[in-house]
Amino acid sequence: METQTASTQIAREPEFSLDTIDIISPDHYQKNGYPHAEWAYLRKHRPLFYVDRPRVDPFWAITKAADLKEISCQPRLWLNGPRLAVFMLDEGETGLPPEASPLKHLLNMDPPQHGEYRSILSQYFTPRSIRALEPEIANITAKLLDDLMDREQCDFVTEISSKIPVAVIAEMLGVPRPDWPKLFRWTNEIIGGGDPEFQSGKDSMETFAQARMEVFQYFTDLVEQRRKHPTSDVTSIIANAQVDGAPIPALELLSYLLVLVVAGNETTRNATSGGLLALLEHPEQFRRLKSDPTLIKSAVEEIVRWTSPVIQFARTAASDTILRGQKIRAGESVCLFYPSASRDEDVFEQPFKFDIGRNPNPHLSFGIGEHFCLGSNLARLELAVIFRELAKRLDYAELAGPVERLRSSFVGGIKHMQIRYKLKPAG
Amino acid sequence: MANGEVCMKIIIDLKLCEGNERCVNAAPEVFELRDDEKSHLLVERPPERLRAKISLAARVCPRQAISIIED
Repeated sequence: METQTASTQIAREPEFSLDTIDIISPDHYQKNGYPHAEWAYLRKHRPLFYVDRPRVDPFWAITKAADLKEISCQPRLWLNGPRLAVFMLDEGETGLPPEASPLKHLLNMDPPQHGEYRSILSQYFTPRSIRALEPEIANITAKLLDDLMDREQCDFVTEISSKIPVAVIAEMLGVPRPDWPKLFRWTNEIIGGGDPEFQSGKDSMETFAQARMEVFQYFTDLVEQRRKHPTSDVTSIIANAQVDGAPIPALELLSYLLVLVVAGNETTRNATSGGLLALLEHPEQFRRLKSDPTLIKSAVEEIVRWTSPVIQFARTAASDTILRGQKIRAGESVCLFYPSASRDEDVFEQPFKFDIGRNPNPHLSFGIGEHFCLGSNLARLELAVIFRELAKRLDYAELAGPVERLRSSFVGGIKHMQIRYKLKPAG
Repeated sequence: MANGEVCMKIIIDLKLCEGNERCVNAAPEVFELRDDEKSHLLVERPPERLRAKISLAARVCPRQAISIIED
Protein backbone atom coordinates (compact mmCIF):
# COMPACT_ATOMS: atom_id res chain seq x y z
CA MET A 1 0.00 0.00 0.00
CA GLU A 2 2.78 2.38 1.02
CA THR A 3 4.81 1.50 -2.06
CA GLN A 4 1.84 1.96 -4.33
CA THR A 5 1.18 5.46 -3.05
CA ALA A 6 4.83 6.42 -3.40
CA SER A 7 5.11 5.18 -6.97
CA THR A 8 1.85 6.84 -8.04
CA GLN A 9 3.14 10.09 -6.66
CA ILE A 10 6.28 9.88 -8.77
CA ALA A 11 4.46 8.72 -11.90
CA ARG A 12 1.86 11.44 -11.72
CA GLU A 13 3.27 14.86 -12.34
CA PRO A 14 1.27 17.34 -10.29
CA GLU A 15 -0.24 20.25 -12.15
CA PHE A 16 0.03 23.70 -10.68
CA SER A 17 -1.42 27.01 -11.65
CA LEU A 18 1.21 29.72 -11.92
CA ASP A 19 -1.27 32.09 -10.30
CA THR A 20 -1.48 30.12 -7.08
CA ILE A 21 1.70 28.03 -6.91
CA ASP A 22 3.25 28.63 -3.47
CA ILE A 23 7.00 28.52 -2.94
CA ILE A 24 7.41 31.33 -0.44
CA SER A 25 4.81 31.37 2.34
CA PRO A 26 6.24 30.16 5.67
CA ASP A 27 2.97 28.35 6.42
CA HIS A 28 3.47 26.17 3.37
CA TYR A 29 6.92 25.12 4.58
CA GLN A 30 5.66 24.39 8.07
CA LYS A 31 2.75 22.26 6.85
CA ASN A 32 4.30 20.44 3.92
CA GLY A 33 8.07 20.75 4.13
CA TYR A 34 9.95 21.80 1.00
CA PRO A 35 7.80 22.40 -2.10
CA HIS A 36 9.80 19.98 -4.26
CA ALA A 37 6.90 19.20 -6.58
CA GLU A 38 6.36 22.91 -7.15
CA TRP A 39 10.05 23.53 -7.82
CA ALA A 40 10.21 20.58 -10.23
CA TYR A 41 7.22 22.03 -12.06
CA LEU A 42 8.88 25.45 -12.29
CA ARG A 43 12.22 23.98 -13.43
CA LYS A 44 10.37 22.31 -16.27
CA HIS A 45 7.80 24.92 -17.23
CA ARG A 46 8.92 28.30 -15.89
CA PRO A 47 12.60 28.35 -14.85
CA LEU A 48 12.48 32.11 -14.52
CA PHE A 49 9.25 32.84 -12.69
CA TYR A 50 8.06 36.28 -11.61
CA VAL A 51 6.28 36.22 -8.25
CA ASP A 52 4.11 39.19 -7.34
CA ARG A 53 1.92 38.41 -4.35
CA PRO A 54 0.51 40.24 -1.34
CA ARG A 55 2.81 40.84 1.66
CA VAL A 56 6.03 40.13 -0.25
CA ASP A 57 8.11 42.34 -2.51
CA PRO A 58 8.11 40.95 -6.05
CA PHE A 59 10.97 38.68 -7.10
CA TRP A 60 12.09 36.35 -9.87
CA ALA A 61 12.27 32.75 -8.65
CA ILE A 62 15.41 30.91 -9.79
CA THR A 63 15.09 27.13 -9.67
CA LYS A 64 17.70 25.82 -12.16
CA ALA A 65 21.26 25.00 -11.09
CA ALA A 66 22.85 26.66 -14.14
CA ASP A 67 21.07 29.97 -13.46
CA LEU A 68 21.88 29.89 -9.76
CA LYS A 69 25.52 29.32 -10.63
CA GLU A 70 25.64 32.05 -13.27
CA ILE A 71 24.13 34.62 -10.89
CA SER A 72 26.28 33.61 -7.91
CA CYS A 73 29.47 33.94 -9.93
CA GLN A 74 28.81 37.56 -10.96
CA PRO A 75 28.81 39.28 -7.56
CA ARG A 76 29.28 42.75 -9.04
CA LEU A 77 26.20 42.46 -11.20
CA TRP A 78 24.07 40.52 -8.72
CA LEU A 79 24.29 42.19 -5.32
CA ASN A 80 23.63 40.66 -1.90
CA GLY A 81 22.72 44.04 -0.49
CA PRO A 82 20.16 45.48 -0.03
CA ARG A 83 17.89 42.42 -0.17
CA LEU A 84 19.32 39.49 1.77
CA ALA A 85 16.54 37.02 1.14
CA VAL A 86 12.84 37.02 0.40
CA PHE A 87 10.65 37.37 3.47
CA MET A 88 6.90 37.47 3.58
CA LEU A 89 5.16 39.64 6.15
CA ASP A 90 2.53 38.01 8.33
CA GLU A 91 -1.10 39.04 8.08
CA GLY A 92 -1.43 42.40 9.81
CA GLU A 93 2.33 42.78 10.21
CA THR A 94 3.69 46.13 9.17
CA GLY A 95 7.07 47.74 8.86
CA LEU A 96 10.25 46.66 7.23
CA PRO A 97 11.11 42.96 7.14
CA PRO A 98 14.51 41.83 8.50
CA GLU A 99 15.88 41.71 4.94
CA ALA A 100 15.94 45.50 4.95
CA SER A 101 18.28 45.75 7.94
CA PRO A 102 20.87 48.50 7.45
CA LEU A 103 23.46 46.49 9.40
CA LYS A 104 26.21 45.19 7.15
CA HIS A 105 27.62 41.71 7.58
CA LEU A 106 29.11 38.91 5.47
CA LEU A 107 25.76 37.86 4.04
CA ASN A 108 24.69 41.25 2.71
CA MET A 109 28.07 42.78 1.83
CA ASP A 110 29.31 43.01 -1.75
CA PRO A 111 32.74 43.22 -3.36
CA PRO A 112 35.19 44.65 -2.61
CA GLN A 113 34.11 45.08 1.04
CA HIS A 114 32.89 41.50 1.35
CA GLY A 115 36.30 40.08 0.45
CA GLU A 116 38.00 42.32 3.00
CA TYR A 117 35.78 41.09 5.81
CA ARG A 118 35.65 37.48 4.73
CA SER A 119 39.41 37.15 4.46
CA ILE A 120 39.77 37.98 8.17
CA LEU A 121 38.42 34.52 8.95
CA SER A 122 38.76 32.40 5.84
CA GLN A 123 42.08 30.85 6.89
CA TYR A 124 40.39 29.52 10.04
CA PHE A 125 37.83 27.61 8.01
CA THR A 126 40.04 25.70 5.58
CA PRO A 127 39.91 21.89 5.70
CA ARG A 128 43.29 21.83 7.43
CA SER A 129 42.32 24.30 10.19
CA ILE A 130 38.98 22.62 10.70
CA ARG A 131 40.48 19.12 10.95
CA ALA A 132 42.09 20.20 14.23
CA LEU A 133 38.59 20.40 15.74
CA GLU A 134 37.76 16.76 15.07
CA PRO A 135 38.70 15.38 18.52
CA GLU A 136 36.62 18.07 20.23
CA ILE A 137 33.60 17.43 17.99
CA ALA A 138 33.96 13.68 18.55
CA ASN A 139 34.05 14.26 22.34
CA ILE A 140 30.97 16.46 22.33
CA THR A 141 29.08 13.93 20.19
CA ALA A 142 30.15 10.91 22.23
CA LYS A 143 29.17 12.56 25.49
CA LEU A 144 25.72 13.49 24.20
CA LEU A 145 25.10 9.96 23.01
CA ASP A 146 26.43 8.47 26.26
CA ASP A 147 23.94 10.57 28.21
CA LEU A 148 21.08 9.18 26.13
CA MET A 149 22.10 5.53 26.36
CA ASP A 150 19.81 4.42 29.16
CA ARG A 151 16.74 5.93 27.52
CA GLU A 152 14.60 4.63 24.70
CA GLN A 153 13.03 7.78 23.36
CA CYS A 154 14.18 11.35 22.79
CA ASP A 155 13.54 14.46 20.77
CA PHE A 156 16.40 14.10 18.31
CA VAL A 157 16.37 17.82 17.49
CA THR A 158 16.45 19.40 20.93
CA GLU A 159 18.58 16.69 22.53
CA ILE A 160 21.11 15.84 19.81
CA SER A 161 21.18 17.69 16.50
CA SER A 162 20.85 21.19 17.94
CA LYS A 163 23.32 20.59 20.75
CA ILE A 164 26.37 19.72 18.67
CA PRO A 165 26.65 22.75 16.35
CA VAL A 166 25.93 25.21 19.16
CA ALA A 167 28.69 23.64 21.25
CA VAL A 168 31.15 23.72 18.36
CA ILE A 169 30.51 27.34 17.36
CA ALA A 170 30.49 28.44 21.01
CA GLU A 171 33.84 26.74 21.47
CA MET A 172 35.24 28.45 18.37
CA LEU A 173 33.96 31.84 19.51
CA GLY A 174 35.30 31.35 23.01
CA VAL A 175 31.88 31.58 24.68
CA PRO A 176 32.09 30.00 28.15
CA ARG A 177 30.04 26.84 28.67
CA PRO A 178 27.45 28.29 31.11
CA ASP A 179 26.40 30.75 28.38
CA TRP A 180 25.74 28.11 25.71
CA PRO A 181 21.99 27.80 26.48
CA LYS A 182 21.58 31.55 25.94
CA LEU A 183 23.29 31.26 22.57
CA PHE A 184 20.94 28.44 21.70
CA ARG A 185 17.84 30.50 22.59
CA TRP A 186 19.02 33.53 20.61
CA THR A 187 19.66 31.57 17.47
CA ASN A 188 16.21 29.95 17.76
CA GLU A 189 14.60 33.35 18.09
CA ILE A 190 16.51 34.91 15.24
CA ILE A 191 15.85 32.17 12.71
CA GLY A 192 12.60 30.87 14.16
CA GLY A 193 11.09 34.22 15.14
CA GLY A 194 8.41 33.66 12.51
CA ASP A 195 7.29 30.53 14.34
CA PRO A 196 4.95 31.08 17.29
CA GLU A 197 6.90 28.52 19.37
CA PHE A 198 9.99 30.75 19.41
CA GLN A 199 8.33 34.14 19.62
CA SER A 200 9.14 36.12 22.71
CA GLY A 201 8.00 39.46 21.28
CA LYS A 202 4.61 40.30 19.81
CA ASP A 203 5.63 39.17 16.34
CA SER A 204 8.58 37.84 14.38
CA MET A 205 10.24 41.21 13.89
CA GLU A 206 10.04 42.17 17.54
CA THR A 207 11.39 38.76 18.54
CA PHE A 208 14.20 39.12 16.04
CA ALA A 209 15.07 42.64 17.20
CA GLN A 210 15.11 41.66 20.88
CA ALA A 211 17.25 38.61 20.33
CA ARG A 212 19.65 40.60 18.19
CA MET A 213 19.99 43.22 20.90
CA GLU A 214 20.79 40.57 23.50
CA VAL A 215 23.42 39.01 21.24
CA PHE A 216 24.95 42.45 20.66
CA GLN A 217 25.07 43.21 24.38
CA TYR A 218 26.61 39.87 25.16
CA PHE A 219 29.33 40.14 22.54
CA THR A 220 30.09 43.78 23.32
CA ASP A 221 31.42 42.56 26.65
CA LEU A 222 33.27 39.59 25.18
CA VAL A 223 34.87 41.79 22.49
CA GLU A 224 36.05 44.23 25.13
CA GLN A 225 37.66 41.40 27.10
CA ARG A 226 39.38 40.08 23.99
CA ARG A 227 40.74 43.50 23.09
CA LYS A 228 42.31 43.77 26.53
CA HIS A 229 43.53 40.19 26.56
CA PRO A 230 43.70 38.70 23.06
CA THR A 231 43.28 34.93 22.74
CA SER A 232 43.26 32.58 19.76
CA ASP A 233 39.47 32.26 19.50
CA VAL A 234 37.42 33.67 16.62
CA THR A 235 35.92 36.48 18.71
CA SER A 236 39.42 37.66 19.52
CA ILE A 237 40.54 37.48 15.90
CA ILE A 238 37.63 39.63 14.71
CA ALA A 239 37.86 41.98 17.69
CA ASN A 240 41.50 42.68 16.93
CA ALA A 241 41.30 42.64 13.12
CA GLN A 242 41.89 45.70 10.97
CA VAL A 243 40.06 46.70 7.82
CA ASP A 244 41.59 49.57 5.85
CA GLY A 245 43.96 50.26 8.70
CA ALA A 246 41.31 50.62 11.41
CA PRO A 247 39.46 48.24 13.74
CA ILE A 248 36.08 47.03 12.51
CA PRO A 249 33.31 49.50 13.48
CA ALA A 250 31.26 48.29 16.47
CA LEU A 251 27.98 47.47 14.73
CA GLU A 252 29.67 45.66 11.87
CA LEU A 253 31.79 43.69 14.28
CA LEU A 254 28.74 42.60 16.28
CA SER A 255 26.82 41.75 13.11
CA TYR A 256 29.76 39.64 11.94
CA LEU A 257 29.63 37.63 15.17
CA LEU A 258 25.86 37.36 15.02
CA VAL A 259 26.00 35.87 11.54
CA LEU A 260 28.57 33.30 12.70
CA VAL A 261 26.39 32.30 15.65
CA VAL A 262 23.28 31.88 13.54
CA ALA A 263 24.89 30.39 10.44
CA GLY A 264 26.98 27.99 12.49
CA ASN A 265 23.94 26.64 14.27
CA GLU A 266 20.80 26.40 12.25
CA THR A 267 22.17 24.90 9.11
CA THR A 268 24.13 22.00 10.55
CA ARG A 269 21.35 21.31 13.03
CA ASN A 270 18.88 20.92 10.22
CA ALA A 271 21.19 18.87 8.03
CA THR A 272 21.63 16.53 11.00
CA SER A 273 17.90 16.20 11.75
CA GLY A 274 17.00 15.95 8.08
CA GLY A 275 19.85 13.52 7.49
CA LEU A 276 18.66 11.11 10.15
CA LEU A 277 15.11 11.45 8.85
CA ALA A 278 16.32 10.55 5.35
CA LEU A 279 18.20 7.52 6.70
CA LEU A 280 15.11 6.36 8.62
CA GLU A 281 12.99 6.78 5.50
CA HIS A 282 15.59 4.88 3.45
CA PRO A 283 16.63 2.06 5.82
CA GLU A 284 18.58 0.28 3.08
CA GLN A 285 20.86 3.33 2.85
CA PHE A 286 21.34 3.35 6.63
CA ARG A 287 22.29 -0.36 6.50
CA ARG A 288 24.70 0.41 3.69
CA LEU A 289 26.45 3.10 5.75
CA LYS A 290 26.63 0.84 8.81
CA SER A 291 28.25 -1.95 6.82
CA ASP A 292 30.66 0.32 4.90
CA PRO A 293 31.97 3.24 6.98
CA THR A 294 34.13 4.41 4.04
CA LEU A 295 30.91 5.78 2.54
CA ILE A 296 30.74 8.53 5.17
CA LYS A 297 32.19 11.23 2.89
CA SER A 298 29.75 10.68 0.07
CA ALA A 299 26.94 10.13 2.58
CA VAL A 300 27.57 13.58 4.05
CA GLU A 301 27.48 15.17 0.58
CA GLU A 302 24.23 13.40 -0.18
CA ILE A 303 22.72 14.48 3.14
CA VAL A 304 23.67 18.09 2.39
CA ARG A 305 22.22 17.82 -1.13
CA TRP A 306 19.06 16.12 0.12
CA THR A 307 18.34 18.40 3.10
CA SER A 308 19.76 21.66 1.68
CA PRO A 309 18.98 23.58 4.89
CA VAL A 310 19.27 27.08 3.43
CA ILE A 311 16.15 27.53 1.33
CA GLN A 312 16.98 30.81 -0.38
CA PHE A 313 18.99 33.98 -0.60
CA ALA A 314 18.22 36.92 -2.88
CA ARG A 315 20.33 38.98 -5.27
CA THR A 316 19.50 42.39 -6.68
CA ALA A 317 20.52 43.44 -10.19
CA ALA A 318 22.99 46.35 -10.12
CA SER A 319 22.17 47.22 -13.71
CA ASP A 320 19.79 46.13 -16.46
CA THR A 321 20.67 42.66 -17.64
CA ILE A 322 19.39 39.66 -19.55
CA LEU A 323 18.74 36.28 -17.98
CA ARG A 324 17.40 33.37 -20.06
CA GLY A 325 16.49 35.92 -22.71
CA GLN A 326 14.39 37.87 -20.24
CA LYS A 327 15.22 41.48 -19.43
CA ILE A 328 15.75 42.08 -15.72
CA ARG A 329 15.87 45.74 -14.69
CA ALA A 330 18.32 47.30 -12.26
CA GLY A 331 16.85 47.08 -8.77
CA GLU A 332 14.78 43.97 -9.45
CA SER A 333 15.67 40.94 -7.41
CA VAL A 334 16.03 37.22 -7.95
CA CYS A 335 15.53 34.55 -5.33
CA LEU A 336 17.94 31.60 -5.49
CA PHE A 337 16.29 28.37 -4.35
CA TYR A 338 19.19 26.12 -3.34
CA PRO A 339 17.23 22.91 -2.62
CA SER A 340 15.74 23.15 -6.10
CA ALA A 341 19.15 23.56 -7.78
CA SER A 342 20.40 20.54 -5.85
CA ARG A 343 17.67 18.39 -7.42
CA ASP A 344 17.97 19.72 -10.94
CA GLU A 345 17.25 16.96 -13.48
CA ASP A 346 19.83 18.48 -15.85
CA VAL A 347 22.60 17.95 -13.30
CA PHE A 348 21.68 14.84 -11.32
CA GLU A 349 20.74 11.39 -12.41
CA GLN A 350 17.62 10.42 -10.49
CA PRO A 351 17.65 13.57 -8.37
CA PHE A 352 14.85 12.25 -6.15
CA LYS A 353 16.79 9.15 -5.19
CA PHE A 354 18.58 9.37 -1.84
CA ASP A 355 21.86 7.59 -2.58
CA ILE A 356 24.66 7.84 -0.01
CA GLY A 357 27.19 6.65 -2.60
CA ARG A 358 26.29 9.31 -5.16
CA ASN A 359 29.32 10.35 -7.20
CA PRO A 360 29.76 12.90 -8.63
CA ASN A 361 27.57 15.06 -6.45
CA PRO A 362 27.94 18.70 -7.57
CA HIS A 363 25.14 19.98 -5.34
CA LEU A 364 24.75 23.71 -4.74
CA SER A 365 23.51 23.51 -1.17
CA PHE A 366 26.54 25.47 0.09
CA GLY A 367 26.16 27.98 -2.73
CA ILE A 368 29.04 28.82 -5.06
CA GLY A 369 31.37 31.73 -5.83
CA GLU A 370 31.84 34.91 -3.80
CA HIS A 371 29.47 33.92 -0.99
CA PHE A 372 30.14 30.17 -0.96
CA CYS A 373 29.43 28.96 2.60
CA LEU A 374 32.40 29.98 4.72
CA GLY A 375 31.65 27.19 7.19
CA SER A 376 31.25 24.35 4.69
CA ASN A 377 34.33 22.47 5.88
CA LEU A 378 33.18 22.76 9.47
CA ALA A 379 29.68 21.59 8.56
CA ARG A 380 31.09 18.63 6.61
CA LEU A 381 33.29 17.61 9.53
CA GLU A 382 30.49 17.91 12.09
CA LEU A 383 28.16 15.87 9.91
CA ALA A 384 30.84 13.25 9.25
CA VAL A 385 31.50 12.81 12.96
CA ILE A 386 27.82 12.74 13.91
CA PHE A 387 26.77 10.23 11.25
CA ARG A 388 29.85 8.10 11.76
CA GLU A 389 28.93 7.80 15.45
CA LEU A 390 25.23 7.27 14.74
CA ALA A 391 26.03 4.54 12.22
CA LYS A 392 28.26 2.82 14.77
CA ARG A 393 26.07 3.18 17.83
CA LEU A 394 22.47 3.45 16.73
CA ASP A 395 21.34 -0.17 16.81
CA TYR A 396 17.83 0.70 16.00
CA ALA A 397 15.77 3.84 15.52
CA GLU A 398 12.31 4.79 14.32
CA LEU A 399 10.10 7.87 14.36
CA ALA A 400 7.96 8.03 17.48
CA GLY A 401 5.66 10.78 16.31
CA PRO A 402 5.10 13.26 13.52
CA VAL A 403 7.98 15.49 12.42
CA GLU A 404 7.31 19.11 13.41
CA ARG A 405 8.68 21.66 10.99
CA LEU A 406 9.71 25.27 11.49
CA ARG A 407 7.51 28.01 10.12
CA SER A 408 10.13 29.56 7.85
CA SER A 409 10.81 29.91 4.15
CA PHE A 410 14.43 30.93 4.77
CA VAL A 411 15.97 28.03 6.67
CA GLY A 412 14.33 24.63 6.43
CA GLY A 413 13.99 23.52 9.98
CA ILE A 414 12.78 20.55 11.91
CA LYS A 415 11.74 21.74 15.37
CA HIS A 416 10.95 18.40 16.93
CA MET A 417 11.48 14.80 15.92
CA GLN A 418 10.70 12.16 18.52
CA ILE A 419 12.55 8.90 17.95
CA ARG A 420 12.47 5.51 19.68
CA TYR A 421 15.94 4.05 19.66
CA LYS A 422 18.51 1.72 21.10
CA LEU A 423 22.06 3.03 21.50
CA LYS A 424 25.18 0.91 21.93
CA PRO A 425 28.07 2.00 24.11
CA ALA A 426 31.04 3.56 22.31
CA GLY A 427 34.02 1.51 21.18
CA MET B 1 51.56 23.43 -32.43
CA ALA B 2 54.14 20.71 -32.43
CA ASN B 3 52.58 17.25 -32.12
CA GLY B 4 49.20 18.95 -32.44
CA GLU B 5 49.31 20.03 -28.81
CA VAL B 6 47.09 22.81 -27.61
CA CYS B 7 48.65 24.96 -24.96
CA MET B 8 46.60 25.74 -21.92
CA LYS B 9 47.54 28.06 -19.16
CA ILE B 10 46.08 27.84 -15.68
CA ILE B 11 45.42 30.84 -13.47
CA ILE B 12 44.36 30.73 -9.83
CA ASP B 13 42.82 33.89 -8.44
CA LEU B 14 44.46 33.96 -5.01
CA LYS B 15 42.06 36.62 -3.82
CA LEU B 16 39.23 34.14 -4.28
CA CYS B 17 41.01 30.92 -3.29
CA GLU B 18 40.32 29.82 0.28
CA GLY B 19 42.10 26.50 0.27
CA ASN B 20 39.08 24.25 0.01
CA GLU B 21 41.32 21.62 -1.60
CA ARG B 22 38.81 20.51 -4.22
CA CYS B 23 41.30 21.20 -7.02
CA VAL B 24 44.03 19.28 -5.21
CA ASN B 25 41.72 16.28 -4.99
CA ALA B 26 40.67 16.59 -8.62
CA ALA B 27 44.14 17.15 -10.14
CA PRO B 28 46.96 16.54 -7.65
CA GLU B 29 49.46 16.68 -10.53
CA VAL B 30 48.69 20.36 -11.04
CA PHE B 31 47.53 21.89 -7.76
CA GLU B 32 48.97 21.82 -4.28
CA LEU B 33 48.02 23.50 -1.04
CA ARG B 34 50.85 25.48 0.52
CA ASP B 35 51.42 26.98 3.95
CA ASP B 36 49.40 30.09 3.12
CA GLU B 37 46.36 27.74 2.93
CA LYS B 38 45.93 28.56 -0.73
CA SER B 39 46.18 26.47 -3.84
CA HIS B 40 49.30 26.88 -5.99
CA LEU B 41 50.29 25.54 -9.39
CA LEU B 42 52.89 22.84 -9.64
CA VAL B 43 52.98 23.54 -13.35
CA GLU B 44 51.64 26.59 -15.10
CA ARG B 45 51.24 24.99 -18.53
CA PRO B 46 50.23 21.42 -17.84
CA PRO B 47 50.19 18.74 -20.54
CA GLU B 48 47.07 18.17 -22.57
CA ARG B 49 46.47 14.73 -21.08
CA LEU B 50 45.53 16.39 -17.80
CA ARG B 51 42.84 18.55 -19.36
CA ALA B 52 39.89 16.54 -18.08
CA LYS B 53 41.17 16.61 -14.52
CA ILE B 54 41.91 20.33 -14.68
CA SER B 55 38.48 21.12 -16.11
CA LEU B 56 36.98 19.16 -13.26
CA ALA B 57 39.09 21.12 -10.77
CA ALA B 58 37.88 24.41 -12.23
CA ARG B 59 34.29 23.22 -12.22
CA VAL B 60 34.24 21.98 -8.62
CA CYS B 61 36.08 24.96 -7.14
CA PRO B 62 33.53 26.38 -4.72
CA ARG B 63 34.90 29.88 -5.12
CA GLN B 64 35.30 29.56 -8.91
CA ALA B 65 38.88 30.77 -8.57
CA ILE B 66 40.46 28.73 -11.38
CA SER B 67 40.50 29.74 -15.02
CA ILE B 68 41.85 27.90 -18.00
CA ILE B 69 43.21 30.09 -20.77
CA GLU B 70 43.97 28.73 -24.25
CA ASP B 71 46.87 30.28 -26.06
